[in-house]
Amino acid sequence: MRLDRAVAQRRDGRSLARLGLTEPWAAATLATLGWWDGDRPVREAEAVMWALARSPDPNLALRTMERLAESCGPAWPELDAALRSDGGLRGRLIALLGSSTALGDHLVVHPDRWRSLASDRALTPARLPDLERRTAVLLAAVGADPGALPSGSPGGARAGLAPAEAIVALRQGYRDALLEIAAADLATVGEPDLPVLPIEQVAAQLSDLACAALRAALAVAVRQVLPEGDGEPPVRFAVIAMGKCGGTELNYVSDVDVIFVAEPADATTTKLATALMRVAGEACFPVDANLRPEGRQGALVRTLDSHVGYYRRWARTWEFQALLKARPVAGDPKLGAAYVDAVNPMVWNAADRDDFVAEVRAMRRRVEEHVRPDHTDRELKLGRGGLRDVEFAVQLLQLVHGRTDPDIRSGTTLEALAALGDGGYVGRDDAANLAASYRFLRLLEHRLQLERLRRTHLLPHESDTAALRWLARAAKMRPDGRRDAVGVLLAEWRDNARRVRRLHEKLFYRPLLETVSKIAGADLRMTDKSASRRLAALGWASPEGALGHLRALTGGVSRAAAIQRTLLPVLLDQLADTPDPDRGLLAYRRVSEALAHTPWYLRLLRDEGSVAQRLMAVLGTSALVPDLLVRAPEVLRLLADTGAGSELATRDPAEVSASLRAAVGRHGDPTAAVVAARSLRRHELLRVACADLLGLLSPPEVCAALSEVWSAVLRSALDAVLRARAASGPVSARLAVIGMGRLGGAELGYGSDADVLFVCEPVEGAGEHDAVRWSTSVAEQVRGLLSAPSPDPPLEVDADLRPEGRSGPLVRTLDSYRAYYAQWSEVWEAQALLRARPLAGDPGLAARFVQLIDPVRYPLGGLSQPTVTEIRRIKARVDAERLPRGADRATHTKLGHGGLADVEWTVQLLQLQHAGDVPELRTTSTLDGLREAHQAGLLDAGDADALAAGWTMATRARNAVTLVRGKPADQLPRSGRELAGVARAMGYPPGGDPGEFVDEYRRVTRRARAVVERVFYGSAP
Amino acid sequence: MDRQQEFVLRTLEERDIRFVRLWFTDVLGYLKSVAIAPAELEGAFSEGIGFDGSAIEGFARVYESDMVIKPDPGTFQVLPWENDGGQHYSARMFCEINMPDGSPSWADPRHVLRRALSRAAEAGFTCYVHPEIEFYLLKNLPSDGTPPEPADSGGYFDQSSHDAAPHFRRNAIETLESMGISVEFSHHEGAPGQQEIDLRYADALTMADNIMTFRYVVKEVALTQGVRASFMPKPFTQHPGSAMHTHFSLFEGDRNAFHDPSDPYELSATGKAFVAGVLRHAREITAVTNQWVNSYKRLVVGGEAPTTVCWGHANRSALVRVPMYSPGRSSSRRVEIRSLDSACNPYLAFAAVLGAGLTGVQKGYELAEPAGDDVWSLTEIERRAMGYDTLPQNLTEALGVMEHSELVAEILGEHVFDFFLRNKRAEWDAYRRNVTPYELATYLPVL
Repeated sequence: MRLDRAVAQRRDGRSLARLGLTEPWAAATLATLGWWDGDRPVREAEAVMWALARSPDPNLALRTMERLAESCGPAWPELDAALRSDGGLRGRLIALLGSSTALGDHLVVHPDRWRSLASDRALTPARLPDLERRTAVLLAAVGADPGALPSGSPGGARAGLAPAEAIVALRQGYRDALLEIAAADLATVGEPDLPVLPIEQVAAQLSDLACAALRAALAVAVRQVLPEGDGEPPVRFAVIAMGKCGGTELNYVSDVDVIFVAEPADATTTKLATALMRVAGEACFPVDANLRPEGRQGALVRTLDSHVGYYRRWARTWEFQALLKARPVAGDPKLGAAYVDAVNPMVWNAADRDDFVAEVRAMRRRVEEHVRPDHTDRELKLGRGGLRDVEFAVQLLQLVHGRTDPDIRSGTTLEALAALGDGGYVGRDDAANLAASYRFLRLLEHRLQLERLRRTHLLPHESDTAALRWLARAAKMRPDGRRDAVGVLLAEWRDNARRVRRLHEKLFYRPLLETVSKIAGADLRMTDKSASRRLAALGWASPEGALGHLRALTGGVSRAAAIQRTLLPVLLDQLADTPDPDRGLLAYRRVSEALAHTPWYLRLLRDEGSVAQRLMAVLGTSALVPDLLVRAPEVLRLLADTGAGSELATRDPAEVSASLRAAVGRHGDPTAAVVAARSLRRHELLRVACADLLGLLSPPEVCAALSEVWSAVLRSALDAVLRARAASGPVSARLAVIGMGRLGGAELGYGSDADVLFVCEPVEGAGEHDAVRWSTSVAEQVRGLLSAPSPDPPLEVDADLRPEGRSGPLVRTLDSYRAYYAQWSEVWEAQALLRARPLAGDPGLAARFVQLIDPVRYPLGGLSQPTVTEIRRIKARVDAERLPRGADRATHTKLGHGGLADVEWTVQLLQLQHAGDVPELRTTSTLDGLREAHQAGLLDAGDADALAAGWTMATRARNAVTLVRGKPADQLPRSGRELAGVARAMGYPPGGDPGEFVDEYRRVTRRARAVVERVFYGSAP
Repeated sequence: MDRQQEFVLRTLEERDIRFVRLWFTDVLGYLKSVAIAPAELEGAFSEGIGFDGSAIEGFARVYESDMVIKPDPGTFQVLPWENDGGQHYSARMFCEINMPDGSPSWADPRHVLRRALSRAAEAGFTCYVHPEIEFYLLKNLPSDGTPPEPADSGGYFDQSSHDAAPHFRRNAIETLESMGISVEFSHHEGAPGQQEIDLRYADALTMADNIMTFRYVVKEVALTQGVRASFMPKPFTQHPGSAMHTHFSLFEGDRNAFHDPSDPYELSATGKAFVAGVLRHAREITAVTNQWVNSYKRLVVGGEAPTTVCWGHANRSALVRVPMYSPGRSSSRRVEIRSLDSACNPYLAFAAVLGAGLTGVQKGYELAEPAGDDVWSLTEIERRAMGYDTLPQNLTEALGVMEHSELVAEILGEHVFDFFLRNKRAEWDAYRRNVTPYELATYLPVL
């Protein structure tokens, strides 16, 4: 039954719910007000009802209206009539009531104030009071003579009211004025026909109001502090507005930043300043004087000379940035003007200070660090792309370029932005777009602050639909057919945030490109000198070199140059955040030149923003990548997708290996086959390097991929040689290649050699001698082909782990191995065999080899005590002797404490001791070995974890060093850009102290070492 | 060039200072100094001064030893020594130790303390410290192993006119004050020749700098009085050692985070957790707070030094004491750690105590009941029955405990942790080889 009625009401289009009046009491309230009759609006009140419906929160508006009516009492009919007839009043009042509970409450307490919103008196874009008018109103409110000289100058105005009453009066006057401004600002939300008051004018009106309030507060302070009469000592006192008020761009709720100047600066003028801050603070807004010289610690009031002395001698760069907005607003006008005249020239020379660059960078970082991580998406003011960032970027450009160009010195952000555009320091379109975004963000900020007159810069959470709907309506977002108002708001917010997030690229970098490329059409350009200055400010150690690269990349009229001009602003912004922007830009130039004729190269960078971004991260960190990239450019395409299932992150090593062998198999000539294999390996190496640097692969995945591709290359090379031999003559042996060491364990790094053994077996009818000779020549040929000189990282095949080492034969028969191991084998050889794994050649032979060595490496019953001691002794000697000169045991990844050798020897000792009895221990992998040793109860969980962590840390660090330096190395760099690069490659954040990484490295390896000493060396815990 | 740097340069000019001593501290707590001419200082501010780090204990190894010292202008102080014309001629600044790329050296004890303080700052705390420094005035400093001779024969709080060094305390205090180090309290201690001077509280980093200055000043002033000062923890078998009882407090902004007027001890939950942290980790940090072989000769039962891990209220035998002499004065609520001796490295020792206490705060450790008894009077078995741990009895035991402490490794950083252990092990080994007079006196006649 009730449902039926609801449906019927909706159909007739006039249900209260459709008007947004969803509360159960709405109908009754409306009836009382006389606007609703049963199921439809009273006829003359229809316009009122529509205005209610447009109000950001109709229920709030209605509820407050009801309270207002009650408070009006007998005067209500007059207001009611005015609402029905005066569209302006209607729009202003009803939008206001639905937007601001705080101002609604003010109206309820002072019901007659509605008259100031009526069309004959209200503030409109065509009728804006000036500062003098506002000052007169507030001075009158505190009983001061508006016609007198300004308070703060000798004989200036004094309040007539005592402080306590004056504060009450000033608060009233201030709130009344705020009400008028807000109503004018919101008018068009209530009645769309009313003219819009642009955000700049709202901000300017609020700034005027704040100035007027400061003047009135000063009049009160003067009465309180300065004795009246002729005997009064001549005191001159001026208030300089800073920050947003100084820039004539105040928002609704904000501290007002000021600086005080006085002659003399004594106890009296200090009292004056304190009284002013107290009066203004209680009546209107908090007054913040912390931007003064020496901040909180400094004297509240200084003389002009003292100010000038401070700024000349002591001030820091950010203080000049703040002074850019200084404007005298209250007190003695002559003193105020003298202050600004004295300080201004210093502001515009600040960019010449030695510490300018460092300070500016530090300031930017501080701003970004300020944001709470959970608020980053919703912060309007702080954080990258927030209001503060726009303001900061604009001020920075003003300081850098304003020295020589007085036209860009405005203290108002929007004016300055326009001037920068007009002066060619920023693209004109960029300036206009950014201004639009800035206005949008300010609008949202204003609306959020109006609600309760609270200082907030936080967008409602995405799940808080009610608050978002309210905000969307208050910001005059309308459904666009596909999305509701909230949807439109969020979409606009995202668009604007995206636009502003690219602010640095647009403000800082694009104009640089226009300078270097001297393209026609851009008639306004910075000079080279300005461009250099800017690049240095952004972190390039050698800006001239960087300009040279930019010039080379963008010179000429080719299409490529044109694309580079649009791309580079983004790329430079990203490079600026890498450990080595200079090297990164050079690498980018080399890659771009090498790929100049690759048609898709620039298109990919242009169309896939993320590719460009990742490429910069990689080039600014690694010296290994650029060399590979110019010869394997196709990998760039993989950078487009870094998702969980992407090819970059998850290419299966086995698949890589299969396709590599298939591709190489198509070549008959071994040399051609190896060239093909090399190229595929280069591709895979680069893929792994990129994925590793971008943090997409775990250390075991990196090792597995690098090992698999090495094995595949080896297999293909052997296959190719064997095919060629079979075609050209008799085959006298079967041959197998056994992987040893890191290759056998599938734990290769970027720079590891491949350790192998060769084993052969005569075919039917062939003699042992022939078999060995034939096999040796095959093995020699494979090694020769692989180690042929090439620009790629080398493919050295190392067979030194074979019996008798370098003096033994390269290839042995299976029988020869058997005889050797039966007779001669030393324990270190058994240990080396723990990592033996068939890699290539005849599988049957390989299996027989494994069968042969298993009893050697997995001795039943383990090791005798003397043998264990022997291994410990060998290791102790290795510890003492093998570390290269100049290496640091604490940070040597391979031979250092808790490094690779430490952990691997520990696992291997456990295997030699127990793998004979515990078959699960029979693995060539260090991490698997650790896990199994724990499973078998040979290691407790903590020890196994500590060893695994040490090994993983050392492996990652070793890979990172190789990636950063471009050539293999086992020692962590000691300091400098290389160490910073390694820390970045390990995933540490930019700009931090690389010492943090070293400390972490040493901590993890120290723990591993403690276990090694206990488990391997058997020392007491 | 920032403001403080300019101030320093101007002062040098105005006061005609001829030498600027750049001070820093090695890992063991020895003060190091490089003197430069004022003309070099501007460069030192911007680029620092390179030096060979391998020459300094614990800083670097020989082949990678380039390091840079950078003066901290906030620590500038004209030294009170005068030339013949009555003019001050030198000044000092403490320095930071950097790597050649400008990043901080993790071997610098000042950096260790800075890191500890920034960890506290992240938790919203600033740390204030107030030490009571004891030392001996001696007639001589024999280096052949014979016992020294005290400069006087006074006793606790004695106001006696001594034969040697009658003006020592006055001169020392005047000198300290002239260097901006406020002295709160000073008196003659219990043993002949023993003095105590308490410094007015300051933030931990400033105080560590002050202590380094203090030791230097006291030794210099003693020399002018014809005597010698020593901060050795225990120079006399028969007299008490030289402690550096140190009061710690944490502030949140202007508010003393240790103060809670509603608690019977006026000690807040934060304060209790801090004490609990210091107690739980006391054995781990002892090697740092008491870093010499000789330090442990002080920590013996019957001396006036703590030997057991417990806390008390008015209990002077406890490791941690929560004094109660200023009821209602919230800003002075603090806890006194009594194990530190006057020869510790103050940067490392403060970092260790702060780190242990802060761990207690962050992990919300529970504080056990206070020890009411005079723990010295308990028997060993009684102490154990009551659950009191014993502090390490010698350096090697302390090192053994420290070696297994992740907390101390974290506080000191791996570099200092590793160096400290190696260096102190070597110190113990060197000591162990020696046949002491005690052994000769005890064994030779009877064995």
